Order: sequence, then C-alpha cells, then structure tokens
Amino acid sequence: MDLYIPIIVLGVLAFGFAGFSVVMGALSGPKRWNKAKLEAYECGIEPTPQPVGGGRFPVKYYLTAMLFIVFDIEIIFLYPWAVAFNRFAGWFGLIEMVLFIATVLVAYAYIWRRGGLEWD
Amino acid sequence: MTGSAVLNTVAIGDIQAPHLEYGQLGPMLLVFGVAVLGVLVEALVGRGWRQFIQVPLTFAGLAGAFVWILVLGVKDKPLHVAAEGAVGVDAPTLFLQGTILVLALVSLLLIADRQNGAFTPQASALPGSDAEREGIASGTVQSELYPLMLFAVGGMMLFTAANDLLTMFVALEVMSLPLYIMCGLARRRRLLSQEAAVKYFLLGAFSSAFFLYGTALLYGYAGSVRLSDIATATGNNAGSEPLLLAGIALLSVGLLFKLGAVPFQAWKPDVYQGAPTPVTALMASCTLVAAVGATLRVFYVALENMSWDWRPMMWGVAILTMLVGAIIAITQTDLKRMLAYSSIAHAGFLLTGVIATSQAGLSGTLFYLAAYGFTTIGAFAVITMVRDAGGEAGHLSRWAGLGKRSPVVAGVFAFFLLAFAGIPLTSGFTGKFAVFKAAIDGGATPLVVVGVISSAIAAFFYLRVIVVMFFSEPAADGPAVVTTIPTAAAVALGATVTVVLGVLPQPMLDVAGQAASHLFVR
Amino acid sequence: MKCTTEGIAGFGCDPWWLIGGKALVIFVFLVLTVLLSMWVERRVIGRMQLRIGPNRCGPFGLLQGLADGVKLALKEDIVPAGVDKVVFWLAPVVSAVPAFISFIIIPFGPTVSIFGHQTQLQGTDLPVAVLLVLAMSSMGIYGIVLAGWSSMSPYSLLGGLRSSAQMISYEIAMSLSFVAVFMFAGSMSTSQIVAGQQHIWYGVLLLPSFLIYIITMMGESNRIPFDLPEGEGELVGGFHTEYSSLKFAMFFLAEYINLATLSALATTLFLGGWHAPPPITTIWAGANSGWWPVLWFLIKIWAFIFFFIWLRGSLPRVRYDQLMKLGWKVLMPISLGWILLVATIRTASREGLNQTQLLIYGGITIAVVLVGSFAWDLVATSGRQVDPYAEPERATAAEPAQGGFPVPPLDLPHYHGVLPETAARKEVSSGTH
Repeated sequence: MDLYIPIIVLGVLAFGFAGFSVVMGALSGPKRWNKAKLEAYECGIEPTPQPVGGGRFPVKYYLTAMLFIVFDIEIIFLYPWAVAFNRFAGWFGLIEMVLFIATVLVAYAYIWRRGGLEWD
Repeated sequence: MTGSAVLNTVAIGDIQAPHLEYGQLGPMLLVFGVAVLGVLVEALVGRGWRQFIQVPLTFAGLAGAFVWILVLGVKDKPLHVAAEGAVGVDAPTLFLQGTILVLALVSLLLIADRQNGAFTPQASALPGSDAEREGIASGTVQSELYPLMLFAVGGMMLFTAANDLLTMFVALEVMSLPLYIMCGLARRRRLLSQEAAVKYFLLGAFSSAFFLYGTALLYGYAGSVRLSDIATATGNNAGSEPLLLAGIALLSVGLLFKLGAVPFQAWKPDVYQGAPTPVTALMASCTLVAAVGATLRVFYVALENMSWDWRPMMWGVAILTMLVGAIIAITQTDLKRMLAYSSIAHAGFLLTGVIATSQAGLSGTLFYLAAYGFTTIGAFAVITMVRDAGGEAGHLSRWAGLGKRSPVVAGVFAFFLLAFAGIPLTSGFTGKFAVFKAAIDGGATPLVVVGVISSAIAAFFYLRVIVVMFFSEPAADGPAVVTTIPTAAAVALGATVTVVLGVLPQPMLDVAGQAASHLFVR
Repeated sequence: MKCTTEGIAGFGCDPWWLIGGKALVIFVFLVLTVLLSMWVERRVIGRMQLRIGPNRCGPFGLLQGLADGVKLALKEDIVPAGVDKVVFWLAPVVSAVPAFISFIIIPFGPTVSIFGHQTQLQGTDLPVAVLLVLAMSSMGIYGIVLAGWSSMSPYSLLGGLRSSAQMISYEIAMSLSFVAVFMFAGSMSTSQIVAGQQHIWYGVLLLPSFLIYIITMMGESNRIPFDLPEGEGELVGGFHTEYSSLKFAMFFLAEYINLATLSALATTLFLGGWHAPPPITTIWAGANSGWWPVLWFLIKIWAFIFFFIWLRGSLPRVRYDQLMKLGWKVLMPISLGWILLVATIRTASREGLNQTQLLIYGGITIAVVLVGSFAWDLVATSGRQVDPYAEPERATAAEPAQGGFPVPPLDLPHYHGVLPETAARKEVSSGTH
C-alpha cells in the first residue's frame, strides 16, 4: 500500500488544481448574457436540434469498441506472459502463446475479410 | 516487502510446463480445432464455396470426435482427472460427450439441409429491407453457423467434463454465446427470432452471473473451485455455513436455468419458438444433455455430503418443473411452444434422477438423456417438414387432418409424441421407468407419484395433437409435407432409436449402467 | 524501514515530507513543462514557417504560455444552454487529473540524498507501473468522450467519438509495442526497466517496437499527423468546441501533459531512462550517479517533444480511414509478428540452439512467409476480379443515395469543367435512383 500513497497524493493535488481552475474560470470571467451565445456552436448557422438521447451515430464506433475489448484482453494475457518469459522452462511457454495468438489471428483474419476494419 | 523479495529470487526456468493429457482431451480439442478452422474457412474461402467446405468439415470434426470417444471408452480405463485437475475424463463424461456428439451429428443433418430454408441468408440485414431481399435472391447462406455450432458443441462437451467450477463457467459461456447468435438466424418471422435471441442472451447472461457468484461464494467457503476439494471441505465442515448454502443456491440457479427447470423456465418457450427449428432441435437435445451432465457432476461430486441440505430444494424444483411444464403445455396452440413446455416437464423427470444420487439414478439419467435426445430431434425434424407458404406451419390448427394427407409423417410424429408421453414399447417408457425406479430406491416415492401424475397430464396434450392430426378434416389450403433426404434421415434415425430403445433397451441400459458403475471421478 | 536496496523494494518508505515534496515537484515540473513546451512549439513552428513566433511576453516571449493562461482565466466561461451540466463541468477535470497521475512512476534519476535521506528520484514505483500509465491514458479518453457527449453539439459529439475510436485503436498497437520490453526486462516496473538498460537501450535492441511506439505515440496524443478529432476544417475544434475559459485550458493542459508523459515513457522504456548516452559514460564514469542523470533525462524528453513539434511542422493530416487502416491493419499485425519473433529467438537461444541453426530456421520461416504472402496476393487479386459473390453490404454502401437522401456522385461532369446544362439530366438520372 505504501507504494500507492504518492499516487493518491499527486492525484489529490491534481484534482485540487483542476477543480480550482474550473471553478475559478467560472467566477473570474465576465458574464454577459446573450441568447445566441448559449446555443450550440455550428459556425454561425442555426444549430440543428439535438435528437432525444443523443440520437444515432454510426455503428462503426461500437464495432471499434468491441474489437478494442477483444484485443485489449489479448494484451492483458500477453503482459504476464512477457514478464514471466525468462522463467519458462523449455518451449512450452512459447508454443502456448503462439497457439493463443494464432487463435486470435484467426478471428482477426475473419474481421478483416468481412470488412470489419474498413472505415469508409 | 515480501512480494518484492519473491520477485528478486526468480530463477530462470522455474515455471514448468503443465501436464496435459492430450489423448484424453482429444475429442474436445478436435471439435474446437475444427471450429477454429471453420472460422478460417469463413475468412479465406469465397462465398459460393463456404457451404460446401463447412458441412463436410463440421461433419468430419463431430464424427472424428465421436470415434475418438469410442476408442477412449473401449481401450482406456477411463477414470482420469486430466489437464491438472481442470477436466474429469470418466465413464459418465464419455457417455455424455458421446451422446452430445451423436445428437449434434443428427442436428447437423437438419442444419445443413439447405432446402428446408430455415436460416436467413444475411443475419445483419434488417427484416423486410432491400438488403434482406437481395440476400435471399442471391442464394447465399450465413455459413458462420457451422463454426458457431462446433463451438457450442465443444462448450457442451467441456461443460459435462469440467472438474472445477471455473472451467465449468468458461464452458458454460463457450456453449451459450454461439447459441444466442444461432437463435437469431431464423429466415421466417425474423423479429420473433431476434427477440428470442435477445431474450435468451439477457436471461442467459443473468444466469451466468448467478453461476459465477455462486462459484465465488463456494470458493470463499472451500478455498478452491475444484469439485473434489469442495466435497472434502463440506465433509470436514470446514467453513462458514451461510456462505456454503448461498453458494449452492446461486450455483443451482445457474445450472437450473440451462436445464429450463421451473422457476427458471421462462426463456424456453420463447426461445424454442423463435429459434430456427434445426437450432431448436440442437438446443432441446444437446444443450439439455450438457446441462444435466454438469448438474449431475456438481451434485454428485461437489455437493454429495450436503444432500440433506439441497434435497428439499431440488424436490420442490423437480415437482414444480414436472407439474408446471405439463399443465401449461395443455394451453399451447403452437407446436414448437408445446414441445418447449414438454421439454420443461422432461427436465423435471430428469431431475428426479439427479435427486436419487445413486448409481442407478446416474445410469437411469444417462439412458433417459440419450433416448429423449433422439426423440426430440426427430419431433422437431418433423416440424420442419410440414410447411405452407409462410414457412413452417407451426400452429396446431394447421396440422388438422395431416394424418389423412400424409399418414407416414403424421404417424411418425404421433409415435414421437407417444414416446414423450412414455407409452410402453417406446424409449420414453424405458427412460422414465429407469429414472423413477432409481428415485423410488432412493426414497423419493412422492416425487415419482407426482411424476406419474404429470406424465398423465402430459399424455393428454400429446393425444390432443394426435386427435387433431388423425380425426379432423384437412383444411383445403393445408400445409404440404416437404421431404428432403437429410431431414428424412434425421427423422428416420430418431424414430429408429426410439423404437430400438423401447423394444430392446437392454444393450443401451448396460452401456449406461457400465458408464455409471464408478460414478464420477474426483 | 530501511530503503537502501535498488529496484522496487526501494520504494514505499519515504517520510511524509518527501512524498509530498516529490508530488509537488512533479506537479510543478509538469505545469512548467506545459508552459515551456507551448512556447517552444510556437517558436519552433514559427521558425519552420519562416516566421518569428511569439516574442513579446517576457524575454524571447518565454512568458507567452502564462499570458495565455491569464487571458483564458479572464474570459467568459460559457456554458451553453443545452449541455448536461454535471458532466460538462466534470469532463475537463476527468481529462486533466489522470494526465498528471501518470507521471508519478517516471524515473527521473537514480538514488540520491535529499536532506540526508536516501531516496530514488521517482514518485513511486509499482510492480505494474506501466499498466498505471495505460490505465490513466484510458481514463483520459473518458474525459474526451464525456466532453463531446455532454456538449450536445454535433461537432463535439463527432469529435469525441472520433477521438476515442482513434485512441483506443492506437492503444492496442501501443500496448503491444511494450510486450517485447517487458520480455527483456522481466518486469513492468519502470525502475527495473531502466535498470535493465544499463548496457544497451531497448530502443536499439528492439528497434521495431520503438518505431511502432513512436507512431502510436502520435495517434495517442491526437496530434498532427493524427489530429483528426480536432480537424479544424471539418469539426471546428472537435470535442472541446463548446468549451471556453479555464475549462478549455484544462483540456489544453491535459494534451500537453500527455505529450510530456508519452515522451517520458518513450525515454524510460526505449532510450535508457536517465542513463547517460553511451559516449559520455565511456569518458566520464560519474555520469550515471548523483543528480546528473536528471539532466540526461530532461535532454531526452525534450528531444522527443521537439520531435513532436518537428512532425507537426512537416507532415499533413492523414484521412480518417487511412488512420484506422494504419492502426488496425499495419501496426497491430507487425507488432504481434515482432513479439513472436523476439520470443522465438529468445527461447531458441535459451534452449541452446546454435546460431547457424537459428539462421537456417529463421531463413526458412521468412521464405515460407514471403512465398505464402506472394501466393496469397495472387489468389486474392485474381479472386477479386472474377468473384461473382461480391459482398452486398459494400455494394449498398457505395450507393449514391445514402440514407434515403440523393447524394450526387463525386465524378459529376460539371466538377471537371463540363457545362452544367449538358450534364444536368445525367446528374438527376444517376443521383436519385
């Protein structure tokens, strides 16, 4: 736990600074009310009304997020393996990881061929 | 600083390779390997060729695994704990895995039958959209189905073999996730199918969470997720009782959900109805075998010493399951829905075998599973054959007078229904007899009485279908019977096994008895 | 508890004043780095564009950053009417705080004596220190997404989404580039990794990893050539379009701190951390002890920051599909292949395969891969020409009538100087079907 105390200390310091700045910014500046100023900025044209709940956006982002999770989990398995790499006896550690990565690459090949990585 | 002390004393090569019994894990590895190969085929092979490669590949994988299991069962004395204790390879496991593989092969006949057109050409297309029409016109198929099926079957095999709760959980997910997707692939009534997939997914995810939470609590109690260690801990009365009981309860929720036992049955009718009928056949047979297999192992191995605590709960669940399944089925007018409720009632009958916790109970349950699996695949195969303009004619009224128009198909279906009801000279009778006898020997006579009563109730609605088929006038625009070779083969197989296990059950009973003779390995 | 040992055992036993002091120094260091790097960036870019750059505030315009900060503080803090108030206020904080925290595990130097107390020049160290940096960079993405979402403006939302998609895509390749380093260092603790580079820097030993990291570093920092989330031409300012005053300054601050963090991480993992560059150690033995290493460390991270600025001055912005393609289809497979190659070579040398055998096997593997890829190329290209089963979803995506709205095709004749009167009929017929 001792190792984590400095992280918390710096975190509190940073939070204090950021929080103070954000509040200060609101207090220190002038306040001149203007209806147009409070509308969403769209280069001066009338802002488009926002659909309820944020509306729909391309499924691509969702797909990217899912792929990220898949490959991030692969990386989470790679890290302990890499750290312990010098401690493995024989070829087993390598072969297992090759098999694992090959399996993930099969899925990768599938996504690639199906256009899951295209961004048009 | 102890952690860093350990860090500093690492020696090169101090992590040894685990000992893996590849020979005994072979069937599962083969199925998973072929599944991965199937994904590769999906990725690299042109659209027109995929189906022609996937079907033989899947068939070869399943058949190869089955042969491997036969070899293991005959040659080996199969009482091992493999893969550092994660997997138990014993006689009941091999029996269950073999059953799953054979049933999966029969289901594959239905799934691969392109002419019955049960699957959507493009699952991602919006129902009723241009993209969907285009997909249908181009005659393509969503051949990802086959790798998905293999993953599901591999997961089921691992589910029955898992010797610790974490492996069991992983297997549960591996078997469930592909099934969720497969449920949503029906070609007709897409919205119903997608609804079924989402319902199954949500409830399944929920039940997995229960299972995992139960695992965590049992780990807290026993300090291990290994089934045998939990058994030892319960024998020594080692830890805190509430933790154990809560753990058992939550774990049971997860398992009973997959079984479709009341009060966790709500998903079954919707999913069975919405899913493409070949997938329903796969779920009704293989998934049930896997779920019962895992339930058996958990209750026979890990919770053996706790039977006084879980037995009342399981009594209640079994009685409710049998009665609710049978009674609600009476009101059903859709055949797939009716078979779903019948499947719930059968889950109740199977639970009586689990409650017996004896060798006879185990062998009876094993036999019942094999017999019921074939009958149910046969019944769903018949449903795929009876079709009208809108696809399968699922509504009971559409089947009116089918006996006059196609006496063979109607007769076979009637035979399957009689087997469900447990009429003598069908496999259903032998199975029920074996399970009920074990339950009576185990002192669960009231349970058997309820079982017989609910069988009688069930017989009513099975007979009603037979009456509708044979004793009412056929409608003018009634459904046609479309016979294709693979589907007919599946029906014939189901009917043959149902007859053989009804008339000459002894060899199969012997195999099941032998498989059960040493119970589960620990 | 005595903390005389090197490595991770030497952490976690500072007195409270030293913990606070280190945190404060890191904080001040970061703020100063931000102010200074803003000035450096503008001056250097100015020089590259044959301008002078800011030179009015203080000597050489050094106080320009401070002046900008004060100006921002005195501007009106606009909170547009439609925003989700709580999240809108929280997002800048969520963005800035993790940026600061990452720096706590960066080693500035070896063990030194501060007021008679032996301590290592590093906030703290964890067995999973690099994971902390990755976690904090992911937390920073939350700040960006929440800012984009809470603004309730299309530009902001798109900017936030683009930014998050880009950052998570590049995070994969970035995380993969670390694996080889962990393999050599046998640890994820930054002090151990620096200690492992006493003789040779990992940037030299693992050059492909280093190069991949440098590329992903650009993607992670949302800077040119990968600054699409801001994309002034299309999205105004991206996720912070609606932000003003000191809230905007927080995003600005976070971006520049991330720049410093990424540079410091590159230094730590690949360029030997605080170790003196090789020629210096041969002529001067004391270069790696005492306070001198801080100098080497600062030189290295400033070199990186300069490199960032240099790139900004030289490169154009890439297109979004090019960006994603680079991340997913190029960097990731190369990283994975490189990791496997390194692992194979290390295992082989550990298991006593001699060099000749290694070379033969390696040669065979490379040959097989080359022939395979060549064959694949042939098959793939020939297949594409005759494949009658073209993916229908792609075919529909290329339809000019996207989402029910007629969209004129890009190759309309009047775009190329043909008179619109003659082209009009053609346009309608091809644009609305």
